[in-house]
Formats: sequence, structure tokens, C-alpha cells
Amino acid sequence: MRTYIAKRLLLIIPTLLGAATLVFVIMRVIPGDVALLIFGGDQAGHIDPKQLAAMRQQLGLDQPLVVQFGTWLWGVLRLDFGKSLWTGQPVIEELLIRLPLSLELALLATVVSVIISIPLGMLAAVRQDSWVDYAIRIFSIGGLAIPGFWVGILTILALVIFFGWGPPLEFTPPWVNPWANLSMMIWPVLTVGYRYAAVTTRMTRSTVLEVLREDYIRTAWAKGLRERAVVIRHALKNAMLPVITLIGTEFAFLIGGLVVTETVFTLNGIGRFVVDAVAHRDYPVVQALVFLIASGFVVINLLVDLTYAWFDPRIRYR
Amino acid sequence: MRRHRALLTALALVVLVAMVPAAVFAAETPRRGGVLLAAIAADAPSLDPHQEQTFATMQMVAPLYSTLIQIDPLQYPKVIGDAATDWKIAPDGLTYTFKIRQGIRFHDGSPLTAADVKATYDKIVFPPAGVRSIRKNAYAAIGSIEAPDPATVVFKLKHPSASLFGNLASPWNVIYPKKYLDKDPNYFKANVVGSGPFKLKSYTRGSTFEGERNPDYFVKDRPYLDGYKFFISPETSVRAAALRSGRAWVEFRTMPQSDVAAIKKQLGDKIVVQDTPATGLFGIAMNQTTKPFNDIRVRKALTLGIDRYTAGKVLYPIASLRDVGGLMRPGTEWAVSDAELQRYPGFGRDMDKNRAEAKRLLAEAGYPNGLKLVLKNRNVRVPYVDFGVFVIQEWRKIGVEAEHRPLETAAWFADGRDTGNFEVIVNGVFNYLDDPDLFLERYTTGDTNNWGKFSDPRIDDLFARQARALDPAERKRLVNELEKIVLDNAYHIPGLWWARSVVHWAKVKNYVAPPNHYSNQKLQDVWLAED
Repeated sequence: MRTYIAKRLLLIIPTLLGAATLVFVIMRVIPGDVALLIFGGDQAGHIDPKQLAAMRQQLGLDQPLVVQFGTWLWGVLRLDFGKSLWTGQPVIEELLIRLPLSLELALLATVVSVIISIPLGMLAAVRQDSWVDYAIRIFSIGGLAIPGFWVGILTILALVIFFGWGPPLEFTPPWVNPWANLSMMIWPVLTVGYRYAAVTTRMTRSTVLEVLREDYIRTAWAKGLRERAVVIRHALKNAMLPVITLIGTEFAFLIGGLVVTETVFTLNGIGRFVVDAVAHRDYPVVQALVFLIASGFVVINLLVDLTYAWFDPRIRYR
Repeated sequence: MRRHRALLTALALVVLVAMVPAAVFAAETPRRGGVLLAAIAADAPSLDPHQEQTFATMQMVAPLYSTLIQIDPLQYPKVIGDAATDWKIAPDGLTYTFKIRQGIRFHDGSPLTAADVKATYDKIVFPPAGVRSIRKNAYAAIGSIEAPDPATVVFKLKHPSASLFGNLASPWNVIYPKKYLDKDPNYFKANVVGSGPFKLKSYTRGSTFEGERNPDYFVKDRPYLDGYKFFISPETSVRAAALRSGRAWVEFRTMPQSDVAAIKKQLGDKIVVQDTPATGLFGIAMNQTTKPFNDIRVRKALTLGIDRYTAGKVLYPIASLRDVGGLMRPGTEWAVSDAELQRYPGFGRDMDKNRAEAKRLLAEAGYPNGLKLVLKNRNVRVPYVDFGVFVIQEWRKIGVEAEHRPLETAAWFADGRDTGNFEVIVNGVFNYLDDPDLFLERYTTGDTNNWGKFSDPRIDDLFARQARALDPAERKRLVNELEKIVLDNAYHIPGLWWARSVVHWAKVKNYVAPPNHYSNQKLQDVWLAED
């Protein structure tokens, strides 16, 4: 087990280095110049070529690419992700403003999704081809087919039109005012949780179905065990491995990938931050965020693999 | 008899006044207190208006600062004093002397003097290395700025400038304390030390921006509000929902007509909509360094092929583009008359005639079977993409097949302004004042905003002359002559002028929407009838 963990930890280094190199190169290849954008603002403005050159120099963009990459990487090793080219603020500071919201959203959406999806997926598998199964399948296909932003906008409009009430526009941390926090977060959590639950329900249903056809389940039935014992004790634990992978990767995605949901619900999260940074060609911000999101994925994958080992002793002993 | 009539009239007046509910009077008496809640579409890239161009920076920080002079909040474009109480312009137009109001204090308690005004304008007009000054060109006539005593600022000009006085009222030119600028000219990108009616209370990047009442503000009994708070929300439908639910009471930029109608329908009299024209022109640049756009016949055909009058009707509800006009905003002192405008290619009302002429010109230029081209655009729906889609439909009617290629903002700037990597491209201009210098420099040779890269010495000469013409009538003649050359030669295709619909709750009082979203953002006279 220890060798297994050590091996997994070592693999993190080339993965992150690859991600860092890739995002650095991509940001330089796409057209657009941050110095010009800074001068341009949201309309056309006058540009003095001397000022533009001074700006490029000030931003360090006049250095050769290798030097820029080396400087950035050296900063990362010292946990210094640099300053935003656009705002001049330290990237890490900007990130910390948005991280609590994104983490809370991802966490609550995962909880909602797990609470909904695992019982539903199991029920659908156990009652395969019954009306219960069909109802659950409609629910989950709906979640996959209907775009989240549309559900979000409809939710807000319904609240405004029928109740004359809209969710707060400002994030309040749960430890400051839990009620204010909940009245803002509940809607995006339900919207995201529904889509997320739809995916996980389908996965749970198919893996439980597969496991239910295994020999040891037949043996369990033959022993005369009750349905609850067969399904929960024998089938569910074994059916969980792919579901856990899915929950893990979806969780990592939720931290940085909820651009549209964040926009619709006025959430100042990581997803919107990344997209704005790409649009502004704010290299240090994009690089830092992609690097940190990649790190998040790597860590969550590691945790998922370790959880695998807990669920399935064969992995531990291999 | 006459005395009786006078008595009767007086009596009638008394009765009438008595009939008016007391509430009407009470409602119009400014009420103190309350925090104004506003929705805004973007966050500020930085807090330094000298270095920024976006309304986001302006609207958030304007209430925190004073300017030397200002555009009257209630009567655009009249100029009134702010930090300056009095001014004198020498008859030769080469010396501007301003008297600074005594007793103004910055939020850190230090007094505002002429030295601070000089330091501020030195930064704008002669920016030190590493400091950008976006609107530096508007002050090119200034040779030096002097502060002979704490209450006097003198601008000495190299040559007369007809636009300078208006440009000194720019809402962007907020006054900073000298001592901070001396230490770091970029200090105000992330910090605020102003002398405006409000002080910065809190700022959460990407989320909220909040100001609180400055009890030491130099205008007596102002501001009425205890504070203001902006909620940053890029999605239009979300801002509309915030207005409908009362989470925000005003959106200062503009709302599309479809959202305005829905808000009005739900809230009725609780909502006020201020519709104004806007100082923004959207159009199309043609790359005149390449074929076929170096051929006047092709350029003329393209401008003739657009039905602007129908465009105004179609695009107004969805994209706020409404008014047909030339290079200066219609309805202003600089605009040509409607009759004159209709003589320019593409502005005539008979579209059948325009299209026949366009086809004839294309055939003459060697394109009898039409023309294929790529129209690049910015991938911002309102108004860019909507305008682009309309133009493409119109061009199809004269045999021009245009492929629409919306680009994200960075690539759009790179292709349009930087590298000239385009055939035709949608672009726009938006200013805080209907000023010929601000609107027309983009048609001069080598200007960075001359995306079409055309050059006509007559335009350069007329631009330079109008900039120095102190006689308004003479200046208008030169401006209109310049406009005639641009439009007759179809150097640029003006599309439509923007319109602004400011939506606010009726309880938000004393805000008069000017035809731009930069001026009148200080909020010192705004009050709330209720919280």
C-alpha cells in the first residue's frame, strides 16, 4: 500500500509539469495581446507605441518565452503565482476571494447529488423495467438533456414572477449568516446538483444492475438473505467503484467548471474568474488557475484511488 | 371686473394647490438616508479612471472623487464647476486659469490644493514611464500646467484648442492627492483617496463595490444618500431579474427593450425608464490597404446596401441601436441636417434606388456577379453580433455574400486594430461628450483607431483646423466638411447610433440620465424616497 501511495505521489510531478507547459504554450499561441487589451479597454482608445512598449516591458512580456516560463515556474515552486497583468493584484489573493464560494457550491452540489442519486440509482436497478425505473430514468435523462443555465434562468424567473423575490446578489459565508448564505446558494446547488445527480444516478443504476447479475449475489439470494441485505451489503459496496470515480472527477470539475451557473446566479466563483482571465489574456491568472485546478484533479484522483483501495482490498494487496 | 377676475384666478389657484395631495410635495422634498443598490454588468479592471476606459471603473469610483470642472448632472452638456469655482480663458485661447475652492479635504483629511490638480493633470498629460494615460491625446494642446498659489491652476497651451474646456470636464479626470502620486503614480489602481461625496467602504473583486457617505464633503447638505452599493453581474437577464425582485434599484448603463418591457409589466409605476440617445456609433471598417476595398466603388456599394432606417427599427428592441446619423450624433449642434445627410451614399431613404446603384457600382468595379467577403466582429451579442447579422442580410440583397466571423475581444482587437488582419470588421466608438476631437480623430492618417487604414490629407488638414477653430460656426463648417469627405468617399461605414434605456425604481430620485454612461455618476444629488 505504501509503495502504491508513493508511486501515485511521484506521478503527480510530470502530470503537473505537463499541464503547466501546455497552458503556457496555449496562452501564447492564441491571438491577442494583453498590453493592447489593457490600453483598449472595452472600446477603442488611443495608443502611444512608446507607452505600449513600456507596458510590455513592465509586464515582462518583452522577455524571451523560455525566460518567462522559467520565471513563472520558479515562482510556482515557491508558491508565488505572480500578479494579475490586468489588475496588478496577487493571483493568490484574487483566488482566495473566490475559493470559499466555489468549494461550498461544489461540496453542497455533491452532497445533494449523492443523496439523490445513490438511492434512486439503486432503486431503478432493483426495480428494473417497472414504472419506478422509468420514472427515475426520465428524471435522469432530463437532467442530462436540459442545459443547466436554462434551468437556472427559469428558476430565477419563476421566483421573481411568482413570488416577487430573487436570490441575494452577494455571497455571505455560511459562518457569517447561514440563512443569507443558504438563500443564495440553495438555487445553484439544486440546479447543479440535479445535473450531477442525473449522471450519477445513471451510473449507479447500471453498475448495480451489473453486480446484481454476479454469482455471489445469486449465492446471497440462495442463502435466503433479505433483499435489503443483498442489495446494500453485497451489491452496493461492489457497485460503488465507478460511481466514486465519477463523483471525484465531477467534484473537481465543479470547482472550476461552473462558468455558466456562476454567471446566471451572480456567483463570484473560480469558473468565471478563469474565463474572464482567458478573455483578458491575463497569463499569470490563467496559468495559476489551470495549474491549481489540475492539482485539484490530481489530488482528488489520488483520494479516489485510495478510496478504491479501501472499498476493494484486492487493490490494496496487489 | 378686472379685479374680480384676478381674485377669481387667485382663488382658483388656492383651490387647485389645496387639491394636490400633500404626498406629491412630500415626495419631491429630498429625503436623506438609505443605500442605493445598483446592478452593474462588469467589474473594474483597476480603480484608476485615468488609466481605464470602461464604464465599470467610472460608475463605481466616480462618487468617490472630485474633478476640476464637470458636466452638469442635470443638464448635459453644460459645464459647471466642481473643485474649481471660477475660471478665465484668455482671449487668445492660450491660457486657462482656474480658481480652486477652499476647504476641500481628501478622505484622508489632507486639503485639496492647486498642487494636487497640477499633479493630477501632469499624470494625465505627461504620464511618467510605466503609467498609461488613455486620453492623453485629448490634451495634446497643453504645453504646461502651473500652480502659482494653492488656489490657482493655470494651463498654458501650445495652440488654441476648441475642445479643451469640455475635455477638462471629463469625468475620467478625477483629482488625486499629490503626495500619493509622488510615491507611486500607479497607487490609485488599487487604492482610493478622493474628495468626493462618498468614501470607499468595501470592495470584493468580482462581486460588490460599496461607498459610504463622506460627512466632510465640501458641498453643504450633500450627499443625500448614506451610501451606494454595486452588485457585479455580467448576465443581462440576471440584472433584469435583480431589478424586478428589488435586489437592485437601478442599472445605470442600459437595458434591452425586451427586458425593459418585462420589468415595466411586472412593476408598473414602481419603475421609471429614462430613454436617451447615446454618444456611441457602431459601424464597419473596411481594410483599404487591400483589394477590393481600395476601390471607392466597392466601398460605396457596401454602404449603399445597408438600409439604416429599417435597421433602426429592427435593432432597437434587441440591441439598443436606434438612430441614423453621420459621424457626429444626430440632434447635436455638430450634426448635419436630415436633408443633407440623405444626400450621402447609403443615407437615402429609397432603398430600391440605393440597391440598384450598389449593384451597378459592383459590376463597374468588376464584380457583376457579386462579391464574397468575411465580416469579422466582436463576439458580444449586444450590439455587435446583432448588428453584424443585420448587415449580412442586407448585403445579400446586392449580391454580397459575407461570412460572419465573431471573435473574442482580444482577437478582435488584435485583428482589427493591431495587425489589420481583416477585410471588413464591425467596430464602434463611445465617448462621454459630443466633441468633434473625440469622435473624428479616428478618420485621420495613422490614428490607432483608423482601423480601415485610409489616408486623405484633406481630412488630416480639416481635423487639425477644426480642433483650433474657436468660432463655433466656423468649427461646425469644418467638421461637416470633414464628414462629407469621409461619407462621400465611403472611407468608413457608419451604422447606427446607440440609445440608452436606464431603468430604475421610481423611489430613486433626481438622477437624470445623460446620453452616455460615464458622466453624472457622482450621485451627490440622488436621493431615495424610501428604503
